[in-house]
Amino acid sequence: MNRVRILGIGSPSGDDQAGWLTVDALLAGGVKAGDELVIEKLDRPGAGLIPLLDNASWIILVDAMQSGGQPGWIQRYGVNDWPAYCQGLSSHGFGVLNALSLARELGSLPPRMDLYGIEIGGAMPGGNPCTEVRAATRKLADIIADELRFILQARPAAAGSGGDGNATFHKTIIRK
Amino acid sequence: MGDQKRTVSIHVPVLARVEGEGALDLRIEDGDITELRLRIFEPPRFFEKFLEGRHYTEIPDMVARICGICPVAYQVTAAQALEKLFGVELDPWARAMRRVFYCGEWIQSHSLHIHLLAAPDFFGCNSAIELAKIAPDEVRRGLRIQALGNELMELFGARSVHPVGVRIGGFHGAPPLARIREIREKLRAALPEAEALIRWTASIHVPQDDQAFVSVAMRHAHDYAIEAGAIAASDGLFIEPEDYDEHFAEQQQAHSTALFSSYRGQPYLVGPLARINLNHERLPARVKALLDETGLVLPSRNLFHSLVARAVEVLLALHEALRLLDAYRVPDSPAVPVSPRAGVATSCTEAPRGLLWHRYEMDDDGRVVNARIVPPTSQNQARIEEDLRLSLLNFGLDHADDALRLHCEKVIRNYDPCISCATHFLRMKVERG
Repeated sequence: MNRVRILGIGSPSGDDQAGWLTVDALLAGGVKAGDELVIEKLDRPGAGLIPLLDNASWIILVDAMQSGGQPGWIQRYGVNDWPAYCQGLSSHGFGVLNALSLARELGSLPPRMDLYGIEIGGAMPGGNPCTEVRAATRKLADIIADELRFILQARPAAAGSGGDGNATFHKTIIRK
Repeated sequence: MGDQKRTVSIHVPVLARVEGEGALDLRIEDGDITELRLRIFEPPRFFEKFLEGRHYTEIPDMVARICGICPVAYQVTAAQALEKLFGVELDPWARAMRRVFYCGEWIQSHSLHIHLLAAPDFFGCNSAIELAKIAPDEVRRGLRIQALGNELMELFGARSVHPVGVRIGGFHGAPPLARIREIREKLRAALPEAEALIRWTASIHVPQDDQAFVSVAMRHAHDYAIEAGAIAASDGLFIEPEDYDEHFAEQQQAHSTALFSSYRGQPYLVGPLARINLNHERLPARVKALLDETGLVLPSRNLFHSLVARAVEVLLALHEALRLLDAYRVPDSPAVPVSPRAGVATSCTEAPRGLLWHRYEMDDDGRVVNARIVPPTSQNQARIEEDLRLSLLNFGLDHADDALRLHCEKVIRNYDPCISCATHFLRMKVERG
């Protein structure tokens, strides 16, 4: 167990693409996946999120959120301060926080977990993300990339095969 | 309780974030149920109209969008209907793999329903998260089984939600042998887990209930019917899908946007308990032995036995998938050629939640003139209302409002994961006379 996983959650609906766009921005910025770093785009994984937490030492999860703030606002949550969730448990709507809460009960959370929420506005099917959300995903990608460099440089064995100063990896998975 | 009768009015106004949005109205006056309506008020989705004018090649991917939990059922039913009309004889490989694909859906859907939706009710829990505190190993096991079902769907459909693998004439591709070997090992390893799941569900204390109802499910000459067979009922009916309309009717009710189905003017049951009631002797020997071990007497007249029925069907699906994948070969081609022709196509299969019936009228170019889809949810609507009425009377109307509401939720959840979603959002207003 020595793996970092970045999970960008979204759907093809307007601003709800925030998690996917963050992954895109990370990749565009030179972050590459490999043995030590797995990067996935997920489309509303439901309870399927839980197995993706297995055997990871650090999970970075990015999802859209609606908390009444301005679109583009970025909030980071740790394991113990997830936001309150106003919707309940259901088969079609088993959301990210439901899955994480269940994982916590089952002892399946990784040693480190960072949950990033990007405040969004509209999530119309087929719609484009707004400018603020696009900008926020690029900003968040920079934050994550900096942190990856810092952490992985401090742990050379985990830094993949590259030596160009970027966190360099090999593989990106896109899962729906 | 004493002789004093009360008036209770329970309104469940919004059942949110579900494929079928609904509500429940219950009114009890002087110890009698005077009103009981399961209202489905989701705006009509017009899927059948969307299909009109579409080319047959688009149909499998379009109907997959009807349900996120059981897309395979919609794809396979549509494909089989059109293949029958077009005179397409599937390669035996494709026929077998359609069943395997479908098994994946049964495994994931049933496991989801058992662990995340139904089981918490019987342990006094509000959710699977609470259930995980007292039965973590069982919940973990359920998630593993569900994930395996999803993996099986991904194998043939490229993804488990709205898969894209099915085409008229077969599949778009065939998985390589290496992937089949890998999943065979996983399926084999899951068998003892599914056996333990049956024992666990059979050990869960459920309310005792005894209701008379007609079970309707497909029946096959040799196999436990999933994707092939005729339509049978517990009163002896045995018909081909083409004759469905002669015996079953759909009616509009003012309080619901879902059509209510009836069989000879009466409600009827579709789904796992109906299937196991009609087809338990078609189960593989090992599954049948385990079912016998549970002591469940079939046919069952207690809808709460649906929990065990689903667990039994999980094991059945694992056995079936393994049996068919043990003989796997990579085909020369995953599909046979198709030439469309005009006419009417009908087919049915057993979706996880019950009988799913499709009818398409096609033109010479292979485009849909009109379509009709009868899902299990609408077939069970009248039965759910009947069940609610009977089981509430059996439960006792003098219970506290919260207990009545919870009992109603349990009853509804027994039928259908979509409805089960809804009942987690009950907002109840009680008026007392």
